Amino acid sequence: MSAGENDGFSDRINGIKSTLRVVPDFPKPGILFLDITTLLLDPKAFRDTIDLFVERYKQKNISVVAGIEARGFMFGPAIALAIGAKFVPLRKPKKLPGEVISEKYILEYGTDCLEMHVGAVQPGERALVVDDLVATGGTLCAAMNLLERAGAVVVECACVIEVPDLKGRERLKMHGKPLYVLVESMFDATTS
Amino acid sequence: MDSLKIFNSDVVIMKSHTFLYNGNFVNSLKLLAPSFPSTCTKKPPTSASTARGGTTGRHFQPSSHIDLKPSCSSHMAAPTSDGLIDDRIARITSAIRVIPDFPKPGILFQDITTLLLDPVAFKDTIDLFVERYKDKNISVVAGVEARGFIFGPPIALAIGAKFVPMRKPNKLPGAVISEEYSLEYGTDKIEMHVGAVQEGERALVIDDLIATGGTLCAAISLLERVGVKVVECACVIELPELKGRERLGGKPLYVLVS
Repeated sequence: MSAGENDGFSDRINGIKSTLRVVPDFPKPGILFLDITTLLLDPKAFRDTIDLFVERYKQKNISVVAGIEARGFMFGPAIALAIGAKFVPLRKPKKLPGEVISEKYILEYGTDCLEMHVGAVQPGERALVVDDLVATGGTLCAAMNLLERAGAVVVECACVIEVPDLKGRERLKMHGKPLYVLVESMFDATTS
Repeated sequence: MDSLKIFNSDVVIMKSHTFLYNGNFVNSLKLLAPSFPSTCTKKPPTSASTARGGTTGRHFQPSSHIDLKPSCSSHMAAPTSDGLIDDRIARITSAIRVIPDFPKPGILFQDITTLLLDPVAFKDTIDLFVERYKDKNISVVAGVEARGFIFGPPIALAIGAKFVPMRKPNKLPGAVISEEYSLEYGTDKIEMHVGAVQEGERALVIDDLIATGGTLCAAISLLERVGVKVVECACVIELPELKGRERLGGKPLYVLVS
């Protein structure tokens, strides 16, 4: 690829990456937390983030963008609006009113649960799952299960950042779905 | 709140439900059955918009929409562009569904998730806010967790402002400032990152709905404590009987549906 063709893409990625910040020992000692809120403070970087996803998905007949609470809500709606898809929030238990379906998933200690509204998606719809970050991939897998149980086809999972050491990409591959990220973290998830 | 009558398992009637349009209240009662738009047909109003002053209200044909009271518009005839606003507000309003007894008995929950399932109505929602704020030199859009995160970022992106999430305690990493506020029983807290905003910036505060105004009031305080000017609060829905508008310390409030 010529430098000219690629410049727009890598310039934007580098700009986005430069806005991310690492907060050590959050939420607990030993964890390096990748914070996207500083990206949201940079209108150009935030715009570029959305544009990069939109450019990838706008021709793919996607009618559903599912965003995972809460940081998936910061990126998913803007993508949905730009590609003309509906936005479906996937939420922690008891937040969605009315009838829901639930999917349990495993955490390091214990389990958690993700919910989606009954009727939000129709069988055969093509869906994207959006979150800010993929670590182990547990939440994304739960999200895909919810969509697939409702008969939707998950086209891809999209995140701003990937933490490669936690093997989320492998976990999604086992589920049979691709993962697209803009920034691969340069940091270990735990202190060595 | 006024008492409810339930006609059948799918319909809930409220005694009063008004729209706020151009600062005037119009009475047109329309409720969605608690089912998703995919089970109801969406049709534009068959009657002329109330902006033209000559209509008896918005009649929606689908059986899951009930038009309960004719509109008696109290505002003046408007130019054509307001008709466009009116049509968009009508579609937005019809896309919101009411869920009874959530999160607890006696509460009628205004659910915006059905609005998000209608790409035209969702886009119209954002456009209405963007049209209002794009020339107002706003550099900060602050959104209240979690449904404020759905509306705030698209508005921020469109007007070139930064987006600042206001979160429940212990969600934001790093240094934060907190503001406590009263609930019916007890208190709650919202937090904002230190350094997210600068003194002198002009800000908008966004949430999906204003009820008592407690959360918005706390959000305003957080921003003002660091020297930001809160230009306006903006919500999709207002519950006027809960008088949140009066709790904003004199800050103006703009809503689409009331």
